[in-house]
Parts: sequence; C-alpha cells; structure tokens
Amino acid sequence: MSDKKGRPRRSDRPESAVAAELKQKRDAFLHTFFKRGAELTDELVHENKKLRDTIAKLEEDNASLKTQLASDRAIRDALRKIEDLEREKSRLLSSMHEQEEITGKITNRFAEVESELESFANLYVASFQLHISLGLPTVMRHVKELLVQLVGAKSLAVYFVDEARRKLEPIASDGVDLASVPAVPVQDGAPGNAVAAAIERAFLTGVPHVADGDVRTEPAACIPLHIDDRNVGVVVVYALLEQKRRFLTVDRELFKLLGAHAAGAIVGAFHHTRTDGKLPTPEELRAITG
Amino acid sequence: MASTYSCLVVEDSPMMRQLLVLALSRVRNLKVTEADDGVDGLRKLAGGKFDIIITDINMPIMDGLKLVKRVRSDPTHKDVPIVIITTEGSNEDRSRALQLGANAYITKPIQAPQVIAKVKELLKIEA
Repeated sequence: MSDKKGRPRRSDRPESAVAAELKQKRDAFLHTFFKRGAELTDELVHENKKLRDTIAKLEEDNASLKTQLASDRAIRDALRKIEDLEREKSRLLSSMHEQEEITGKITNRFAEVESELESFANLYVASFQLHISLGLPTVMRHVKELLVQLVGAKSLAVYFVDEARRKLEPIASDGVDLASVPAVPVQDGAPGNAVAAAIERAFLTGVPHVADGDVRTEPAACIPLHIDDRNVGVVVVYALLEQKRRFLTVDRELFKLLGAHAAGAIVGAFHHTRTDGKLPTPEELRAITG
Repeated sequence: MASTYSCLVVEDSPMMRQLLVLALSRVRNLKVTEADDGVDGLRKLAGGKFDIIITDINMPIMDGLKLVKRVRSDPTHKDVPIVIITTEGSNEDRSRALQLGANAYITKPIQAPQVIAKVKELLKIEA
C-alpha cells in the first residue's frame, strides 16, 4: 500500500524510517522556525535601530526647536526692550529739549535782569552823584563825569540857553577846549520851542567839533536839558571812546536822567553857590510851597 | 564756612568808586575798602590784609602805576592780584602796568559783569 504520492504508507513503513522522516520534518521545522525567528530578530533589531535613530533625530529636532524658541523669545524680549528704550530715549530727548528751552529762557532772563541791574546801578550812581553836592563846580564835574565814566564819551560840551541873546552857549566841556566850542543860535519862536528846535537842528546837522577843524561832524548824541517842561540847554556828545561802538539801553536811560535832572541840579547849585550856601528859612520855604 | 575776601578799590572819582563798590557788592563774602588815590591806597594796605586790589591809573598825588610798583616791591603784598582800570587810549599805561606786575585790566566804561568776572577769576571764586 502507498499514499497518494506513491510513498509507502506510514503504517507500511518501518518505524525507523518514520522516525527519521519525523525527525527530518522536525529539523526542517525548527530550522525554518529559528531562521524565521532570527530574521524577525534581525528585523526587530533593525527596526529598533531605526526607531532609536528617529528618536535621536526627534530629540535633536526638539532640542533645536527648543533652542530656537528660546532664541525667538530672547529676540522678542530684546525687541520689546529696544522699543522701551527707544520710547525712553524719545522721552528723555523731549525732556532734554524742554530743559534746553527752559535753560535758554532762564539765560535770556538772567541777561535781561543783569542788564536791568546794571542799568539801575548806573542810574542810582548817576542820581546820587548828581545831587550829592550843591557846589556848582562839583555838579558840573559830575555831569561831565557821568558821560565820560558811565557812557564812554570822549568829548562833550554842556550848553545853556541865553534867552536874552537867543543862543545856546557852551558852559562846560570835556575832551575839547571850551573856548573853541561854538554857540548855537536860537531862532525865533517861543523860548522853549526855539531851544528845542536849536537842539534838534544841532543834532540833525551836527555841531562843529573843534578838534576836527572845519569839518562839521555829526554828534554822537544830543541830550536836551529840561527844567519841568522847559528846554533850557543841551549836552552834546561829540565823540565816544574807541571801544564804545554803540549806545546801550542803560546809556539811553542815563540820558533821560540827565535830561530831567542835570539842568535842575546846575541851576540849584548856581543859586546855592551864589547865596554862599545860605539856607532858606522855614518861613521862606512855607511861603513858596504854600 | 565760605572764605571771606577783602578788596581794595583805589579810585579818585567818587562816581567810579561808587559804581565799582556797587558792582563788587554782588560778589559774596567780599569786603570792599575804598581809597581816594595811590597814597591813600598804600595807607589802607599798610593797615590791613587784602586779597585783591583794583586801581585806576590816572589819579592825583600817586597814580596807579606807582601804586602797582610799590605794591609789588612790598614783601607783604607783592603777591596780591592787581586789576587796573584804563581808558581806551592808554595802551602804554596798560602795558607798563602789566610789566610792573598788574594781573589784569578793565577798560572804561566799566561794566559790572566784567568787573565781577575778573575779580572772581583772580580770587578763584567759582561762578
């Protein structure tokens, strides 16, 4: 008897042959099993390696991303900081400009106050010196000195009106010989107006500067002298010291003071000197002041 | 406590003297003594100690140049800073005064800020 393949049936074969066949089959099975197992193991090892590599790469990527993220955050922080600093800078610049503006205003104000202070000091000294004495020579010296020392006049003459002869006569000078200073004719008209006109004419056309011979030079300044509203004389400043290039506000204030006070001081000193310093009695003063 | 300084102003014109004193009154802790001319100036110097001298050049009795010379030859005051006051046409006087030992000059008409600045500079007073 044989099986379909023509091999003798197991029961027909000897036991040893069957055992050998079974052993062969077992070996073949085991061989296949272990071979497959080894292959699977290899695959698993390979797969494991791939996974490890992937994990390593992912970890690497993750670290890189984390770094990048940190870096991005740092950049964002830095940018925010820069914006803050820029804002602070703008604020400080604006504040600085404001401060500069304030400083400029303070500096200007300081210069103004300084100038006013100097003006007041000069006016105080001028007023003080003009009225400190009733001696005519002293008053006259102080009038001239005010212009020489405080203003910087180089040459000047003081004129007083001679109403009878209708002319302005020089009564004192500095930096120029009095004898050579010409009188200025006063033309017809009311006495005060005529003197004012003569002063104006002297200023506009110039009073001859003797040192310059025949050349008629325009005076640097003409200061009309008043007693109340009456023009009674003039101070003519012919020339200024070389370093004195222009009149300042303080000079103009001094001219105003001289214009209002000098003639009164001169006339007062004249009467006082003429009466040998005799003081009026209280009765005489009361009689006049009412 | 702030230092106190003393200044001698030698000037024959009462007006200029008053103006200088008024200007110098704005310098803190500066005591000012006035003298009418060089001789009066020397008399005041002999009677006290001064940190600075301001003197006019043209004065009667003893002018500023003689005063500068006398001060510089006086062991007590030879190092005291001297400021001279000159007019514009007196370059020779100015040069002579500086040669004799004056430290600085101011030209007339004087201006208070100029006087104050010069005095502060020579006395090393901070502005």
